[in-house]
Amino acid sequence: MTYAVTHFGKIAWLTLAHAELVFVSLAAASLIAVPLGVWAARRPHAGVWILGTLGALYTIPSLALLALLVQAVGLGFSPIFAALVVYAQFMLARSVAVGIRGVDPAQRDAANGLGMSPMQRLVRVEFPLALPIVLSGVRVAAIAAIAIATLGGYVGGGGLGALIFNGLTLHQPAMIVSGSIAASVLAILTDGTLRFAERAVRT
Amino acid sequence: MSVSRRAALAYLAGAAALSACGTRKNIRVGSKNFTESFVIAEIYSQALERSGLPVDRRFNLGSTQIALAAMRRGDIDLYPEYTGTAAIDVLHLPPMHDPIQLYRTVAREFAQRYDLFWLTPSPMNDSQGLAVTSDFAKRERIETLSQLAPVASRFRLATIQEFVVRPDGIPGLQKLYGGFQFREVRTYDIALKYRALLEGKADVASAFTTDGAIAVDRLTVLRDDRKLWPPYNVAPVVRKQTLQTQPHVARILDRVSPAITDTVARQMNAAVESGQDPSDIAAAFLKGISA
Amino acid sequence: MSAADILFEDVRVRYPGSETFAVDGVTLPVEAGELVVLLGPSGCGKSTLLRTVNRLVTPQSGRVLVGDKDVASLDAVELRRSIGYAIQAVGLFAHMTVAENVAIVPTLLGWSRADIDARVDELLLLIDLAPQTFRNRRPRELSGGQAQRVGVARAIAGKPGVLLMDEPFGAVDAIVRQSLQRELVRIVRTLKTTTLFVTHDVSEALLLADRVVVMREGRVEQSASPDELLDAPATQYVRDLVRAGDDVYRRYYLHLRDELR
Repeated sequence: MTYAVTHFGKIAWLTLAHAELVFVSLAAASLIAVPLGVWAARRPHAGVWILGTLGALYTIPSLALLALLVQAVGLGFSPIFAALVVYAQFMLARSVAVGIRGVDPAQRDAANGLGMSPMQRLVRVEFPLALPIVLSGVRVAAIAAIAIATLGGYVGGGGLGALIFNGLTLHQPAMIVSGSIAASVLAILTDGTLRFAERAVRT
Repeated sequence: MSVSRRAALAYLAGAAALSACGTRKNIRVGSKNFTESFVIAEIYSQALERSGLPVDRRFNLGSTQIALAAMRRGDIDLYPEYTGTAAIDVLHLPPMHDPIQLYRTVAREFAQRYDLFWLTPSPMNDSQGLAVTSDFAKRERIETLSQLAPVASRFRLATIQEFVVRPDGIPGLQKLYGGFQFREVRTYDIALKYRALLEGKADVASAFTTDGAIAVDRLTVLRDDRKLWPPYNVAPVVRKQTLQTQPHVARILDRVSPAITDTVARQMNAAVESGQDPSDIAAAFLKGISA
Repeated sequence: MSAADILFEDVRVRYPGSETFAVDGVTLPVEAGELVVLLGPSGCGKSTLLRTVNRLVTPQSGRVLVGDKDVASLDAVELRRSIGYAIQAVGLFAHMTVAENVAIVPTLLGWSRADIDARVDELLLLIDLAPQTFRNRRPRELSGGQAQRVGVARAIAGKPGVLLMDEPFGAVDAIVRQSLQRELVRIVRTLKTTTLFVTHDVSEALLLADRVVVMREGRVEQSASPDELLDAPATQYVRDLVRAGDDVYRRYYLHLRDELR
């Protein structure tokens, strides 16, 4: 695997770009998913519909969604970013909803009785207590995103996908293997880091 | 508790900053989904970067139609295109065999119809063809397309998807030469088709005349005696806005294009197939011409 | 905050989807500084009635007045910050330290950092948990009794005029419960807070209360001091409940009561 050695800088750079794509899209996705998850937790009936819709989005084949997004927003960073934001919704919103619903009712009652407003209760009590479950949802969403983000190679979105798909076109197995291994390493590191974080916030 | 809130704010701020990073004014260079397009696009990209212009590579876009659609939509700023492909696949013009006349015609039409501009072309001519092993040519005593046309029903063709449908692919052969009803037409990934030929799974393969394999595997390209295929000279095709906002692009690429000859093209293609990275190949090429 | 009085005016509460009223027309005054125990079996409406005071429950009809103000006319969140609240399951916030738990109402009220820290130390001493040791402990590191005590400290941290307690000592064993009861009486006497205390345990009611309100099926059976209850039960139900005829029982509890005082 001399390719990996001689091109280590390039592979590292692409891995960083890949990680950046995943990080940014998860951050943006949470801005939408967290409020949706809170809403689903507060209103179980609406929640069934919300999570059901997000689940349906999740089952759309990624390449098909990406092709549609390219028609809408063009090539490059935008379509793969948008696709990742869509796919992350289900996992994130669901873990927020489950986490908040699972909060100890006594602590919720105490929070209300002691004089917290609903927002204060959410921020100071419910969300922190839900954090281990939320983080496990983030972890699953991140691993999926690392995989789906490789499709960015199809649409000029950069990252390890470019390495893998260029390797396919140019018939250079070394590129394909390097890209795949780098993606796996990234996934393993992400998984480990987030597991550590989950344990750290457990009460 | 306040720690996790601070962490969350840092996370969001970082995300916002990083996403803002992606909106620089780079020149977006595209390529189609085969080796030669890759290498030439990489040459263009590195030539621009060496002159200090930032480049976003959007290679491997797909077929001619996809690349052109991306240009017209403004998703890429320039890409390498072939005069022959432009004339037949895009503009649907009648065949022309003078390279200079062909170039001038496609350049004029692209400018008028699409606001896309052709820069100085390269001498290399990556025409299409049908290739066979030397043994086959000797054994069947077939050297030209006219000779193959009537007896094609005995043979199997290995080709790529685009060739089956494009007007100057199988339809064009059938129209001009008659015959060419192959016993079997199988589509392969672009470089695997030669392997099919060499492994005896096919008798004839569609080819590009600058394919590295032709030199490496000593294949014979059948003569296009009735001249179905026009010249295919490659040149950068650039969007009008890009030429206006980045006028140096033309000057830089015009200096590079004349150095891409047939020989150079075949060497570069062969190098990719032997496992070299297109970035390295392009870099070596540029270093060679600036020396 | 000084102790306020409470007045229930013909309060009726019905939970959605239920035919019967959980609280069925209760009119009851509670004087400032009194420790009133709501006593009855589960389902008699005592917890529901308690929770109308801090508006965790809204009555269908009737009014609840705290310090002469109708609670319905006040901002619910602000109201709750002026009323102490302690429940059986305690509900200490698992992700916060003991100090942060106790400090929650003062924090919500915007006290200065210095005042909050002083109050936390004061309360930890009051409930007999050494501040140095217990400030930074987590709820999971506390025993049942310790957690209950922290729950009480948290309830009174904001210096409320009214204290609501819903079976706060129900989840601990008898020995711990006795010491908690003793401590509660001491605290409440010191702070002179108006206290509403819910329990199903008759002996606990007789021990702690200035006045016992016996409830059954959403209505008040009798509201009287423990002595009066034992001497002059208003109904057969009350008589049976407090074992009014049983002299031995009576003497035993009166004795315990004096000890507590």
